[in-house]
Amino acid sequence: MSDLAIEAKGLVKKFPARAGTGDKQPTSPTSMPENKKKRWQFWKKEPQATFTAVDGVDLQIKRGEIFGLLGPNGAGKSTTIRMLCTLLEPTSGTATVNGFDIVKQANEVRRSLGTVLAGERSIYWKLSGRENLEYFAALYHIPAAVAKKRVEELIERMEIKDRANELVEKYSTGMRQRIAIAKALLARPPILLLDEPTLGLDPQAARNLRELIATLKAEGHTILLTTHYMEEADQLSDRIGIIDTGKVIALDTPEKLKAQIDQQEIIKLEVTGWQEYIGEKLRSISEVGSLVARQQGEADLWEVNLQSNNSRAVLPKIVEHIGQNGTRLVNMNIVKPSLEDVFIQLTGKALRD
Amino acid sequence: MNATSLAIPSFTSDLRAFWAVVRREWVIFVRYPSWIISLLIWPILFPMGYLLTARALSGVDGSGLTNFQNTTGLTEYVGYIAVGTMIWMWQNIVLWSVGYSLRNEQMRGTLESNWLSPTWRFSYLLGSSVPQMVSMITLLIVSGLEYALLFGVKFNGSLLLTMLVILASIPAVYGLGFAFASVVITMKEANAFVFLVRGIVMVFCGITYPMAMLPGWMQSVGEWLPQTYIIHAMRSAALSTDGFAGISHDLAMILIHGAAWLLIGYVMFVFMERRARQTGAIGQY
Ligand SMILES: Nc1ncnc2c1ncn2[C@@H]1O[C@H](COP(=O)(O)OP(=O)(O)O)[C@@H](O)[C@H]1O
Ligand SMILES: [Mg+2]
Repeated sequence: MSDLAIEAKGLVKKFPARAGTGDKQPTSPTSMPENKKKRWQFWKKEPQATFTAVDGVDLQIKRGEIFGLLGPNGAGKSTTIRMLCTLLEPTSGTATVNGFDIVKQANEVRRSLGTVLAGERSIYWKLSGRENLEYFAALYHIPAAVAKKRVEELIERMEIKDRANELVEKYSTGMRQRIAIAKALLARPPILLLDEPTLGLDPQAARNLRELIATLKAEGHTILLTTHYMEEADQLSDRIGIIDTGKVIALDTPEKLKAQIDQQEIIKLEVTGWQEYIGEKLRSISEVGSLVARQQGEADLWEVNLQSNNSRAVLPKIVEHIGQNGTRLVNMNIVKPSLEDVFIQLTGKALRD
Repeated sequence: MNATSLAIPSFTSDLRAFWAVVRREWVIFVRYPSWIISLLIWPILFPMGYLLTARALSGVDGSGLTNFQNTTGLTEYVGYIAVGTMIWMWQNIVLWSVGYSLRNEQMRGTLESNWLSPTWRFSYLLGSSVPQMVSMITLLIVSGLEYALLFGVKFNGSLLLTMLVILASIPAVYGLGFAFASVVITMKEANAFVFLVRGIVMVFCGITYPMAMLPGWMQSVGEWLPQTYIIHAMRSAALSTDGFAGISHDLAMILIHGAAWLLIGYVMFVFMERRARQTGAIGQY
């Protein structure tokens, strides 16, 4: 048995580009085959425009580790997971899960995996929590007697015992998510794929779920999770792959990733009356590496995140540029780099706005 | 420590998975029983317009029926129309329910979570049709009773032969439903197709009139549709005293069409499932 739980080599997924949907930024890597002149044979299919959602991803995930795939919305995280769990076929590249090829041995792959996608929508709302688990236990080919015990065990573990016979539509989001995770655990698969497991949960529920994920690792599961919360990736993952526009742009332990930019200092400013041209001016200071500004909620308060290799030299210049035309510096901190700063340094943009 | 899987795949575990799909669908079905009303109302409401037209044309004393009798060999025109519209209704409901079963699961988000499991992906379509079938056969029986009690239709034929025709029709009626389910899930504007198919069945299969009324080319089209034979056989089995001889040819045609439609349904499903993996069309909700 290979000591890799998941191995992906050059995974690529291209989708037919959807015409007329405004969900693609102009910078999206949409490619048109050359020479797309309208031919007179109008019934022949035009060479189709494609959109590359995953662009050559290589992963080697070891048995027993938690691997975090961290990236902004639309980076290609879900598409990568969907290929690994056999819902999508890669356009090119190969991958194995538990040693099985995701295309040629799809059924063995499905047996090796517990997957949570779109959590609360993945279960039947018109069935009770218990009925859901009994149903999925049969789909995963667990013998009836074993299934009965396993379902009770998971109901107990997920702390839904006193409501297990109620319809899922009456549950809270957190409870539904727990059923979805219990469903993934039913057959006790060696590998778990969790796509944004804490999305939409309240802070307490999210914290409980993160604790559960850590316990599952301790019980021997390999876990691949995606998230766009850097704290989550940082806290849970043994190793992290940072993904953007379909490419893994950095891959290491959280500590090493942060150490990469250790010589950089992160200056966090809080500013009112921010103007984009000030950003341009600050960027042109030679000691400033990258700069990202984003508004804090509705108020006229901006958080400006600035990387510099020499904050002593930079600070006076910053103060000079900002104290003009109604722009005011409210607060300033020099902080330790976070994974988000790594992302900013690599891409020049924020992980989420 | 490594987690050890609890799954033990075998032939029986596959059957149990299929049975779980049947049960799931059944539980949801009886939990939301709004369909009971339509089960009672539709069989009466739908053929009503045709029945009244027919009564007007035949005269209240039935004096205008000789022509009808000459072409069909039957005097029971209410039963004649009732059987035709029943079959049409059956196929129509199958198109809407079986045909939309995958789409509905797709919209709910459960299609993908089913497909994540190692269960044969065609089982979901097959399994969720079973409760539908049970409810439809109930519908046919309830309708028959309603026609007999409310309209005084005399079913002179054989109950056994009628049941035989119904059972033999299942592959054709549901095969078309399966084919549909795959079309519906890959196309945005699938409703138009349902209307098209049921329109075709309505015109070409003679749901309220004998096929002999159609121009030649339309009769030929009708010969390619299983519903033509189903309606013809059902009328003979339920209304006439011709016995098995009256339906044997139709029965053979129904089974041949049924085998073809099951195959078409399955092939289209396989094709759709493949396409979904390539284009990602399934997950886009
Ligand atoms: N089935 C699909 N058809 C076309 N485009 C898709 C499809 N699925 C995802 N995409 C696009 O691919 C990109 C990556 O999506 P996704 O993998 O869901 O990102 P993430 O999970 O990181 O937010 C997005 O731009 C998304 O719109
Ligand atoms: Mg996603």
